[in-house]
Amino acid sequence: MNDARKTKRRTALAVLAIFAVVSLFVVRLVDIQVVSAAELNKDSLSKRSVSQTTYGSRGNIVDTNGNVLADSVDRFDITASPLLVDTFERDSEDGKSTVEVAVVDAINELSVATGATAADITTALTEKPGANFAYVAKSVTLEQLTAVRALDIPWVYDVLHPSRTYPMGSVAGNLVGFIGTDGPQNGLEVTEDSCVGSANGTSTYERGADGIRIPGSTVTTKEAADGGTLKLTIDSDFQWYAQQTLAQRSIELGADWGTIVVVRVSDGHLMAVADYPSVDPNNVDGVSSSDLGSRAFSSPFEPGSTMKSLTIASLLDAGTITPTTQVTVPGRRDLGNGESIKDSWAHGDIRYTATGILTNSSNIGTSYLTDSLSNKETRRDYMTKFGLNSTTAVEFQGESSGLVRPTTEWDAVTNYAVQFGQGMTATSAQMASAYQTLGNGGVHMPLTLVEGCTMPDGTVTDLPSTEGTRVVSEAAADTTVAMMENVVTQGSLKNALTVPGYNVAAKTGTAEVADANGYGSDRIISIAGLVPAEAPEYAIVVTFAKPDTMKTSGAVASTFKKITTQVIKTFKIAPSTVPATTYPLNF
Amino acid sequence: MSNLAFATPLRSPAEEQHPRHVEIVSSREQRRARPRVVYAVVVVIGLFVLFMAQLLLSIVVSDGAYRIAALQTSQRDLGREEQALSEQLDLLSSPQNLATQAESLGMVLSNTSPVFLRLADGAILGTATAADAGESVITGASGSLVPNSLLAGVPLVTATPEVDPAIAADAAAAAAAAAAAGTDAAGAPTATPTAGSVASNPTTLPSPVTR
Repeated sequence: MNDARKTKRRTALAVLAIFAVVSLFVVRLVDIQVVSAAELNKDSLSKRSVSQTTYGSRGNIVDTNGNVLADSVDRFDITASPLLVDTFERDSEDGKSTVEVAVVDAINELSVATGATAADITTALTEKPGANFAYVAKSVTLEQLTAVRALDIPWVYDVLHPSRTYPMGSVAGNLVGFIGTDGPQNGLEVTEDSCVGSANGTSTYERGADGIRIPGSTVTTKEAADGGTLKLTIDSDFQWYAQQTLAQRSIELGADWGTIVVVRVSDGHLMAVADYPSVDPNNVDGVSSSDLGSRAFSSPFEPGSTMKSLTIASLLDAGTITPTTQVTVPGRRDLGNGESIKDSWAHGDIRYTATGILTNSSNIGTSYLTDSLSNKETRRDYMTKFGLNSTTAVEFQGESSGLVRPTTEWDAVTNYAVQFGQGMTATSAQMASAYQTLGNGGVHMPLTLVEGCTMPDGTVTDLPSTEGTRVVSEAAADTTVAMMENVVTQGSLKNALTVPGYNVAAKTGTAEVADANGYGSDRIISIAGLVPAEAPEYAIVVTFAKPDTMKTSGAVASTFKKITTQVIKTFKIAPSTVPATTYPLNF
Repeated sequence: MSNLAFATPLRSPAEEQHPRHVEIVSSREQRRARPRVVYAVVVVIGLFVLFMAQLLLSIVVSDGAYRIAALQTSQRDLGREEQALSEQLDLLSSPQNLATQAESLGMVLSNTSPVFLRLADGAILGTATAADAGESVITGASGSLVPNSLLAGVPLVTATPEVDPAIAADAAAAAAAAAAAGTDAAGAPTATPTAGSVASNPTTLPSPVTR
């Protein structure tokens, strides 16, 4: 019995000891696995794992033919560790011996390879001698990187630095915008960031002692997302021609700025939106901030006589005039209160038809035609339906809506002036959109700059609206275009505007520019037109603001003709087979 | 430990009823039934083979990792090279560059009257007029007015000049004279003119000789 009791006691002791040890282990286990698990995991991971940023590629911006306007490219930052900067041994060319390379020689070699000055590199390396990191050169190309790598300098490293380049420079530069160091800064790069924008991802992997990735250890913590491709309606070749021609003439005229807008009338797609001064997105230094955007969208002005075509179309639609409506136009129309309407040239009584008034751009004549539709509200409704007083469907960055004041604010002069484009403002884009309506049988199509956005998975978004709204009847629109043909065939600029073999419809505009002291000597001159006139395909608006050497719309004619001819060539418009419509100008 | 041990008889009643002679030597069947060394050997070898297979497999896998790493690097490098080349292509095919190059080769943009050749019946639409040499778009006023800072380093292509043997000989003679004059700037490469090669000018692109 004594033995049995001893055995029992011993057993109990053993069990207790085991329990004690096991519970000790359990406590430690819980501590490791639960309590401090996260911390330990982190420590262990940081010892063997490498975290890396995977770069999503920002989407390209392309023109209607797929030519690249904005491209994402790899650039590299060359970095160095100032701490380790020292002379080093380099294999000689035959590979058998080594040559010692002094720091100053290495810096000179780096300078040649990267294009940074030796002085800058020396400063970067010696500024903080104890630092482990310094930039030698930023954003170098692959070619330069290869040259740097070939130098085989042990304390020089490289880091990927995704970047943006604009292969066509200022072609559509005012539209595309640019990317600064802090992301998109201007233009479509900003407003279409939801399409082309990309997101960087992160992933970690574990590596062996020699730096090679251990198979199957890659953990993607965040997927990188590429941006979509933004396709514009712009034709880059034509856009270049428009910009070159515009810039040449603007410089000749001493104009402050100028625009050319070309719209396809069938769907409202913009073929070219040229701005002068233009912006080279690759180098925006020195460009004044007011020139960075697109004046065609952001600068409203009093359009002047190009508005008369819209007035004629409205009155034709209302049925109050015909192309041959007869008006005896005096040299001056008194409106009482000492106010009057004048024409741009002095004349006595002239017997004009409505076509004659449009062709000779008579303000007084237009005012008498306006009397046939006295309801101001109706006339203002026509203007807003043509797209005035509201931004175009493009909704470009900083776009202006122009201004047509409510009819309650129209005084006796404004009542007529708005009908010939003074006392109201519009942008070049709005004028082009209004002429698109005239060319398209009276149906206003939403002005379109973006053809679509193709995401990496193939889905297409941002498709333009194809819904048009009728502004005036087809007959009214077609008749207006036919009347505008007489500006080219019978007007004072017929020699400068006629394109052999083609019927062209056009209307000139020479608008006075108001400043703080009222209307001064500055002018904004423009010509808006359609080609071919018998079945319009493209609407063209050319505008120069505040020219110095010539202040009448005649200065625009040569540019308008060049652009029209280029439209014919680029978009392959066959010569007209019908003669131009002719209406009598006088009676 | 249990009380059952005391309650159970040590021998079964059957054994008591049929007493048998007990042999110490095991029977052949018993011996056969016992585990033999061969099994142990088979198991050990099997395990060894398994371990070896696993080892080899991991060697192959990690060898693959090196290959993958090498191939991924070369894929990345080739991708970058392709990208750099297409970037350059896009730049060179930009409209202002094409126009500038074309005009420097003596081409002009005819913009007086558009003419089309209809392929269906060979009809000429429009009135063909000869282009005027003064119609150039770029060189007309003040060069390209649609700037592109990336084009700064792109050389202008000039029309291939007729290689005049006399001029080539002169150039060779001049180079030889310069070398003879002892302008031995240390490290400056000295060109050795070879007969028949096109004299290259660092400011223009080397132009191929078409035969």
